[in-house]
Amino acid sequence: MRKLFAFAVATLLSVGAAQADRLDDIKKDGVLRVASFDSNPPFGSVDPATKQITGLDVDFAQAIADKIGVKLEVRPTNPANRIPLLTSGKVDLVLANFTITEERAKQLDFSIPYFASGQQFLAKKGTLSSPDQLNGLRIGADKGTTNEIVLRRDFPKAMVVAFDDTPFAFTALRNGNVQAITQDGPKLVGLLAKVPDRQNYEIPAFSISNDYIGVGIPKGETRLRDLVNETLRELEKSGKAATIYDRWFGPNTEQPLPRLFRIGEHD
Amino acid sequence: MSLFGDLLAPRYLVWLLQGFGITLALSAAVCLAGTVLGLAACCLREVGGPAARRAVAGFIGLVRNTPLLVQLFVWYFAVAALLPSGLTGWLNTPHTLDLGFGALHWPAYETLAGFVGLTLYAAAYIAEEGRAGINGVRPAQREAALALGLTPIQAFRHIVLPQALRIAWLPIVGQYLNTIKNTSLTMTIGLAELSYASRQVETETFKTFQAFGIATLLYIGAVALVEAGGQALARRAAPAGSRA
Amino acid sequence: MNRAVITDNLGYLLVGAWPDGPVGGLALTLILSGLSGLASAALGLILGIGLAMSAGAARRALVLGLGFFRAIPIVMLIFWSYFLLPILFGVSVPEIGTVVTALALVGGAYLAYGVAAGIESIGRGQWEAGLALGFGRWQVLRTIVLPQALRAMAPSFVNQWTALIKDTSLAYVIGVPELSFVAAQVNNRAMVYPAEIFLFIGAVYGALCLTLDRLAAALAQGARRAPRLSRATPA
Repeated sequence: MRKLFAFAVATLLSVGAAQADRLDDIKKDGVLRVASFDSNPPFGSVDPATKQITGLDVDFAQAIADKIGVKLEVRPTNPANRIPLLTSGKVDLVLANFTITEERAKQLDFSIPYFASGQQFLAKKGTLSSPDQLNGLRIGADKGTTNEIVLRRDFPKAMVVAFDDTPFAFTALRNGNVQAITQDGPKLVGLLAKVPDRQNYEIPAFSISNDYIGVGIPKGETRLRDLVNETLRELEKSGKAATIYDRWFGPNTEQPLPRLFRIGEHD
Repeated sequence: MSLFGDLLAPRYLVWLLQGFGITLALSAAVCLAGTVLGLAACCLREVGGPAARRAVAGFIGLVRNTPLLVQLFVWYFAVAALLPSGLTGWLNTPHTLDLGFGALHWPAYETLAGFVGLTLYAAAYIAEEGRAGINGVRPAQREAALALGLTPIQAFRHIVLPQALRIAWLPIVGQYLNTIKNTSLTMTIGLAELSYASRQVETETFKTFQAFGIATLLYIGAVALVEAGGQALARRAAPAGSRA
Repeated sequence: MNRAVITDNLGYLLVGAWPDGPVGGLALTLILSGLSGLASAALGLILGIGLAMSAGAARRALVLGLGFFRAIPIVMLIFWSYFLLPILFGVSVPEIGTVVTALALVGGAYLAYGVAAGIESIGRGQWEAGLALGFGRWQVLRTIVLPQALRAMAPSFVNQWTALIKDTSLAYVIGVPELSFVAAQVNNRAMVYPAEIFLFIGAVYGALCLTLDRLAAALAQGARRAPRLSRATPA
């Protein structure tokens, strides 16, 4: 029975596979569909004034759309929906603080990294100062993130509670349901900047991984990937990548972070 | 064949089965507590004073007319923020009750919130099914009981209620089935039941099809078994004369 | 309690990004529930007639299919239709279509049984009278049985709509910006006012569904009264 089903599916898949190049489709439709976060400033969040999703990821997405010469359409996503959105063809690209991993690279293609960060923690002041304390704590993470996987793998005694998005995990932290939450450092810095009672929390100065962030691209779309990579390199060369970075993490923002990573340093 | 590829590694099947175990345990606890609470509410509405009746009707109306997802968000995110911090702290600390032969562990807050939210939701529906059952008993039955000298409460307890329960049983089983399906929403508040487990397996293996497929089959299997069991019980409990 | 978090975001909660972007919030909840309500009513009617009029293997297949949609959690069905159907069949259904389809299938499966029961509840005498007048089975159904059955079932169609309004909140899982999703967005932005936001949208859903509940009750009373009225009026 399963064989029969698998055969039926395989037949259907071979029909689906005979598609035109995605880049041509994007040009034909005149729209680049990108999945970005809607609740994770400064990477992607809904601007209360314009009600549009804005952020660092969206700026990079806009640059790619401009390069192709089409309109940008941003679809909101949470961490867990990123890969299904891409593999089911609902979006052309994912720009949502998407960590490049070998495992993920089997399912989809990545651009060269355009951002770098490390997995860090946010806790009430005085609860957490070193990684050894993680085992035994209840830690909030986001479903479908590398953070969740790394934490479970490297700290098997930590109790991981996974939520749909980082702010939900933070609410659980604030209510005392978890003792710490984990995410990429810059995302936590961005989150903490928006919290009214931020003086009660801290991001302990250690990280448990180094992550490179790339654009998620459907598997095998080489022309699209080359174009994305070319755009990213040009943005770095022209200084626009630094401008985008400064717009969200520069000295005059709510979450100033020095820019240590340059696009093209790590291919 | 990226869709099926290899079968899921055993440890992921274990995750799914653990999630299924939590789904079943939670469903059983909710059905039990929801039935007790729901029937109590239903009886209170029949024999209680006007204030009690209004309170029960208000509770049922509120719970039945708002989405369960929103109720779970309220129980998990909002109630914890509204409670005095001392109480939230106590609820969040693990307490262990040593029973001699084994220890009872205090559930994590997400389990507690999920249980409370699902139980109240199930209770509101079960109370309504109970009321429909009571309305289905012919009024002459109650009048006859009263004429025989039973008090209204005795008439309700011995004459109306048993018949009403027989009428309401299958609809109540329907609510048990809904409860099994409704537990899937607790994944949004971090409860590691079957739907949550299927998303976790998907995150680690990317075998979306298998992860969701197995979870779906387990849900359907559980629902089908409980439905068949409920119908078998109904057939056995039916009075001899009414058997077809 | 912080009332500003509601008043500042009221527009977003009610209509989403509209008119600068797609309709969302409460307006989208109404659209989704309206569309899936109509679709599930149509589906429930067709399947219910099928259930009442079919027999043997066809009926068993129908019961099995309906059983599937009554047994699967809606969240799972939404995942399937949104993420897996495109991979399986290469067809991509937009978010709103996915939600409407999933809800209509589940709603239709439940309604079908109501419709079948409604048809069967119309007494055997009426069927026989119709057949004796020389009508065909389908003619009796259309001209005699259905009009009565539908009048009796109007409340359950409205009740189904109430259920659908609540179920549209599940579109949250695939990022459709209906009321629950935009509320989650607002909550995620404000971060420290979950009580205000979730209690507020609970009240909005409650007001909406209670109104429909009253409508269903009124319809039910009308349906109970209708046969008596028709008997009282001379033909």
